[in-house]
This record gives sequence, C-alpha cells and structure tokens, in this order.
Amino acid sequence: MNWGLFIPELYYLAVCGILLLLSMGAKPNPRRDLVTVLFFAALGVVVSLASVRLEGTLFAAAYRVDLFSQVFKVLLALGLLLTVSLCTELRGIDEGHHLEFYLLLTTCTVAMMLLVSSVELLTIYVALELSSYSLYLLVPLRRGHDAAVEAGIKYLLVGTSASAVMLFGFACLYGVIHTTQVAEIVRVLPGMLGQPVATIGLLLALCGFFFKLAVFPFHFWAPGVYQGAANQVTAFIATASKAAAIAILMRIVALSGGGDAYLVKVLVTLSIASMTLGNLVAIRQKDLKRLLAYSTVAHAGYVLIGLLSFSPSGYASAIFYAFAYLVLKFTCFLVLVKVAADGSDLQIAQLAGLHRRSPLLAMALMVGVFGLAGIPPTVGFTGKLLLFTAAIRQGHLAIVFIAMINVVISLYYYLLVVKAAYLLEPDEDRPRIRLSAPMTLFLWVLVAVIVTAGVFPTYLLDLADAAARALLGV
Amino acid sequence: MIVPYGHVLLLAGILFVLGLVCAVARRNLVMVLLGVEIMLNAAGIAFVGAAIRWQQLEGQIFVLFIMTIAAAEVSVGLALIVRAYRRTGSIDQNTYDLLKW
Repeated sequence: MNWGLFIPELYYLAVCGILLLLSMGAKPNPRRDLVTVLFFAALGVVVSLASVRLEGTLFAAAYRVDLFSQVFKVLLALGLLLTVSLCTELRGIDEGHHLEFYLLLTTCTVAMMLLVSSVELLTIYVALELSSYSLYLLVPLRRGHDAAVEAGIKYLLVGTSASAVMLFGFACLYGVIHTTQVAEIVRVLPGMLGQPVATIGLLLALCGFFFKLAVFPFHFWAPGVYQGAANQVTAFIATASKAAAIAILMRIVALSGGGDAYLVKVLVTLSIASMTLGNLVAIRQKDLKRLLAYSTVAHAGYVLIGLLSFSPSGYASAIFYAFAYLVLKFTCFLVLVKVAADGSDLQIAQLAGLHRRSPLLAMALMVGVFGLAGIPPTVGFTGKLLLFTAAIRQGHLAIVFIAMINVVISLYYYLLVVKAAYLLEPDEDRPRIRLSAPMTLFLWVLVAVIVTAGVFPTYLLDLADAAARALLGV
Repeated sequence: MIVPYGHVLLLAGILFVLGLVCAVARRNLVMVLLGVEIMLNAAGIAFVGAAIRWQQLEGQIFVLFIMTIAAAEVSVGLALIVRAYRRTGSIDQNTYDLLKW
C-alpha cells in the first residue's frame, strides 16, 4: 500500500493530534493559538497543492485518489485557511474553547477530504458522519446564546435522522445489488429500478446527500443553523462543507455514467425547486446570515444544473462554480465578521453607512454580492455562464430559462444589501471600522481574485476540465 | 439461510418506521434521540440480513461501524441535551422556539 497517496489526510490528522494535546495544556492564549493554527492551515494548503498530481487507489479500492479529489482537497484546505483567518477577533466563542474550536474545524476538514475521495458506501458513511459530528459540536459552541444551543440540538436531531434514512437506503441497495462499491452499484442500478427495494434504497440514500447540500426539500435546517452558529462557524459551513457536498454528489452522479432519464428528471425537479424557493424566501430576510443561507439553497440549485448535463463540460463548470462560490461566499462572510466585530448577528439594516465607516469593506461586499448575483466581470458571472452553456449544449433549454428568471429575482435582494451599504444613512453614528494592514491587503487580494478569475478564467477552467476528465476516467 | 431475506427486510422496515415515528412525534428530546437510534439499528439489521443473503462479510463489518458511530452519536447528543437542559431547565422540544425555520 502506498501511504504517499494519503499525505494530505495524514497531515491534517497529525494537526488534529497536536491541537488536541494543546487544548489539554495550560492557560488559553488566543493570540498564540491563532498564530499556530494559521501556520498549520497555511502549511496544509501547501501540502495539498504538492499532492495535486497523485493518483491511485487505497484500502481495497474503497478510496480513490485522482485529480478530481485532489483539486477539491486543495479547495477544502483553502476553506479552512480562510476560515481560520477570520478568527482574529473570535468574540463569539469563549476564550477557553478556542483550541477546541480549531480542533473541530480541522477534524471536519479531514473528514471532508476523506469524503471527496470515497468511492465505497462504508467510507462515504464514516466520512460523512465524522464531518457532520464536528459541525454539530461547533454550532452550540457560541458564547452566551440560547439560539446557538437550540440550533445545535435541532441540527443534531435533524442531521442524524437524515443520515439514518440514508443508511437504511444503503442497506436496501446492498441487499439488492450485492456490493458496496459505488461504481458497481450505479452500473447495475439502472436495470434494477423496476424493483421497489432498489428504488426506495436509491431515493433514501440520495436524501442524505441532498440534506448536506441543503437542496429543497431538505434545506429547512440551513437558516436556523446559519443564524444560530457563531459567524466564523457559519462561514465554514457555508463554504467548505458545501464544496465537499458538491464533490460527493458529483462523484456519485458521474459514476452513474449519465443519461438515465429517471435520474435527470429527479435532478431537474430538485434544481428548479431549490433555486426558486431559495430566491423567493431570501427576499424577505432581514438577517444577513439568513439571507446568505437562502442564497446557498438557490446556489445548490444552480450547481445541480451542471450535474444534470452529464457532460465533461458540465462537470468542469460545476467544479469551477464550486471554486467561485467558495471565494464569493467567503468574501461576504469576511465583511460580515468585520462589521459585526462583537460576534453578534448582523441585520441588513445595520450595514447602513458602511461605505463611510470603511470604504474597502463596502467595496468588497459589493464585489462579493455582485459575484453571487452573477454580474460581470466577476467570477460568479463566468461560472453561471459556463453552467448555462453546458446545459444548453445538452438541450436543457427550459431549465436554463427558469434559472435566468431566478437570477433576475435574486438580483433584487442582492441589490438590497448593496443599497444598505452604499445609499442608506444610519440612524446613529457608528465608529469607523479599523482594519489591520494584513487584512486590508487580504481584502484587496480577494477582490482581485474575484475579478481576474472572472475576466481570465482560462487557467482555472483548464484545471477544472482536467479534474472533470479524471472524474469520468477519460 | 433459514429465514428468507424478505422477512428480515420486513422486520427492518417495521423497526425503521417505528423509529421514524418516535423521532418525529415525540416531544421529549431524549426520546427523539432514542428514535434515531432505533432507525440506525433497523439499518443494521437490514445489513446483517443482506450479508447473510450474499454470504459476504461486508455487511457485518458495516454493522460494526454503525454501532460505533451510533455510540458517538449518543454521546454527542446527550452532551448537547444536558447543556440545553442546564440553560433552559427543560428537555421539551416545544420550549425551543427561538429560531424560525
């Protein structure tokens, strides 16, 4: 067995061990803890980048390492680094628990890295549960918030029920198909959909993944959890964990070889329902985190369009969109964390006068929100364009048309956010927001990445293309 | 195989539905957690039945993992419930209504 293939996961596992030991240690020292974790997270990105070109299988073919999984591992490592960089003022979490907070973030990252490489039911199940359990604990860590405890309990109960349903689906599939290898299952499955046990098994199993991705009708946990969790935790759930969910769903859909009319119908329905419902409900949200939660539901719908094209360009555009989404969502959360520096929930009305309190934050928010809305020249526009052209090439005109209408609807509430930041005057004078020099630079870099990746997507697109081809094995 | 696979699946299905009803209908948080446990065990029975049907070990191994994860689930769940009880003094779901869904 070639342990070299396993390096990123082993690295993060070692970091988990170190953080566990540190968390048992002496007095909490937030500054030192942050610097340590930031260092480990940055090194982790380097390690994942270095192992991008690895290929092979591990653990009796239960674990596949290819360009697709490695690209997503880099994205996840990046997600962890970005989330940790938000923690300079971690007011939402008790000082004594900072190391536990970092530890759980890291275990969740390891679990999601395992998830994107899993090609067997057992590894999928274990990785999915490990990542979920870390999140169940992260949500109620928030200090002095009854809502956080409530959100944690609801998330746990709904999440474990969803995974029990998924597990029963796995059991049905195994009972009919005789194997736990996903590739084998999806190869045999289309011929077996006449059998009720196989159909029930497939539907129950898919429930679990849709729950993770917060696709309608499994989205109802998202707004409450987003609102209840500390801002940094919400940022992590909204970026890294969504990227992992997209990856695993893509792997399963891709393994099915595509074109099965039944699966296409299910995906089309879910996609349309997700984006329409997400966008319509987002309009009446007052809390910025809840608004971003519903925009996540809508974006899950857009990503499904890429999957149901069943073509290499469709998968490539979905991978590209996952990257775009990660950066854009993260930019919005960075602004949110900075504006609500005391760790409270941020109402949209509280953004009023932001352009005077901190012009840079206001601009970053505008670029991020415009990106989510899909306005050129941001990376969000390029991502949506790629998704829609891939779908049109496969003849899915109707769904692209509905998606376009949805984009227009979503413009309304995204513009409300920008309007609050630029045009509304605050009731009372709020102090200017001071940004440290590294943070200023960081914001500029993010804005630059969003715009340049939107104008010159070639390099990223080539990478996404290669990853999609590795996924399909062509 | 002495017991036909269909019967095992039926048993697992009934148990699963019982667990689901318990998880959805009961208002006591501990009982909801118990319902989820029953659902997990139903899945375990279905796996053992399938393992015997195919004369394979995979299903049995799967059940070992399910039991381990179920234990983790209970520990996390009970810890959360204890914390919630300390804050609010109640383990009735209806008292947890701060968040709109």
